[in-house]
Amino acid sequence: MPDPTPMEIPMTQVACTVNGEAFTRDVPVDSPLLEFLRDVLGLTGTKGACLEGECGSCTVLVDGETINSCLMLAAQANNRSITTIEGLASGAELDVIQDSFVATGAAQCGYCTPGLIMSARALLNDRPDISETELLTALEGNICRCTGYASIIEAVKRAHRESQSS
Amino acid sequence: MFHQPMTFKQALELRSELGADATVINGGTDVVVAMNHGAIKPTCFLDLSGINAIRKIDRDNGHLILGAGVTFAQLGKLHVRTLKEASLSVGGPAIRNMGTIGGNIATASPAGDGCVALLALGADVQLSSKDRGQRWIPLVDYFIDYRKTALADDELIQAVRIPYNPRSRWYKIGKRGAVNISLVCCAVSQNEDKKTQLAFGCVGPIPRTAPKASALLNGETLSAELIDDVANLVAQEVSPIDDQRGSAAYRRAMCSTLTKRLLTQLMEDNPKGDADA
Ligand SMILES: Cc1cc2nc3c(=O)[nH]c(=O)nc-3n(C[C@H](O)[C@H](O)[C@H](O)COP(=O)(O)OP(=O)(O)OC[C@H]3O[C@@H](n4cnc5c(N)ncnc54)[C@H](O)[C@@H]3O)c2cc1C
Ligand code: FES
Ligand code: FES
Repeated sequence: MPDPTPMEIPMTQVACTVNGEAFTRDVPVDSPLLEFLRDVLGLTGTKGACLEGECGSCTVLVDGETINSCLMLAAQANNRSITTIEGLASGAELDVIQDSFVATGAAQCGYCTPGLIMSARALLNDRPDISETELLTALEGNICRCTGYASIIEAVKRAHRESQSS
Repeated sequence: MFHQPMTFKQALELRSELGADATVINGGTDVVVAMNHGAIKPTCFLDLSGINAIRKIDRDNGHLILGAGVTFAQLGKLHVRTLKEASLSVGGPAIRNMGTIGGNIATASPAGDGCVALLALGADVQLSSKDRGQRWIPLVDYFIDYRKTALADDELIQAVRIPYNPRSRWYKIGKRGAVNISLVCCAVSQNEDKKTQLAFGCVGPIPRTAPKASALLNGETLSAELIDDVANLVAQEVSPIDDQRGSAAYRRAMCSTLTKRLLTQLMEDNPKGDADA
């Protein structure tokens, strides 16, 4: 059966900072932040999979805290500052967590990797000392279907050590 | 339309004007999931996430006052054990940074972990409207039937008030480690007068207390026999249903088991209570 007349979705303006750059755009009121980042700004590093908060592949930082961008509306990001995976490296120089994921082979297909790295970034931003439990808790909202997690945990520990010693 | 008030007063004005035509949203962890599933298609939003005033935790005469926009991440740092543990059982860290206690209460899911902890703590909820002002009601009276609550179309949840309960415990049985919806959950708490309350999730259409079983406990010193009697009474008092996550019989048995486990922990507890509830 054909869809009954599709409802007109109103637009609203969102002004936010993404990876240090200010943007003002019109977005549909019901559009998730994930869609805005990927389809409007072309920042396709952030992934979407479950769209229900279970997998963490869409994790980004909003005002320094991790959120699932599949569950935040783009319009809610008004006046906020967002960091995505694209915002971590400076030029050709990788963030220490990215570097550690490469060094320990913590990515296979890589689909979960941006989300995991953003969760790890929030953890390492937050505190100089982290326990094993804190590390596991910080990553508990991110699912990886490939690696079995050991190399991921190793990567975050390595990044932690490296950032302590530098 | 997308309304993003910066003050609670503005939010109440918009709520009064728009009523049920605007979908109230805060953390979005229930609303946007429902949108992504195609279950709802809102075109008008009243977004509370920009209101800093409802993100605060205050203390007043031994009571804790939680703004409706306080997140599970914030609650996870409190020392009220049942609420802390309930909050830390929700989703992963990103969900806990988004999901709010007001959203948990408004959604009124029978599995609402925050609601169950607050029921055991004997919390009150503050409902506010532009025209009729603010009213405090016991949370236990707020839940009416499956997703039917005392919240009117012109009202918003403003805050939650929790009396001092030096000791409390929490346990949730779910099917997965991290991101899990509960199969049964149980909260117990004890106030300074040794008044003990039990609450349960997933055992009926609403999060609920167990007044008969709780009445057996009141004023009494906990003993192994008393705990057995209470646990037996709980099994009669709750009325769980079968669903895809578990059978009624299993849930009933688990309510008894959790009651026994948590009350035994309270009995064996540090007599001074949990650190700084
Ligand atoms: C992956 C995942 C795991 C989850 N796990 C759990 C769990 O273990 N236990 C659990 O209990 N819940 C769980 N939830 C559900 C959800 O996180 C909670 O119910 C949360 O408290 C909702 O808060 P919110 O601010 O995100 O609400 P929103 O989605 O923004 O809103 C929820 C409802 O409340 C209304 N509302 C919000 N604030 C107010 C207010 N101040 N006044 C009036 N109405 C209001 C909205 O209109 C809507 O109907 C989970 C959700 C996800 C996505
Ligand atoms: S796509 Fe957002 S949590 Fe899975
Ligand atoms: S590397 Fe494939 S999902 Fe994690």
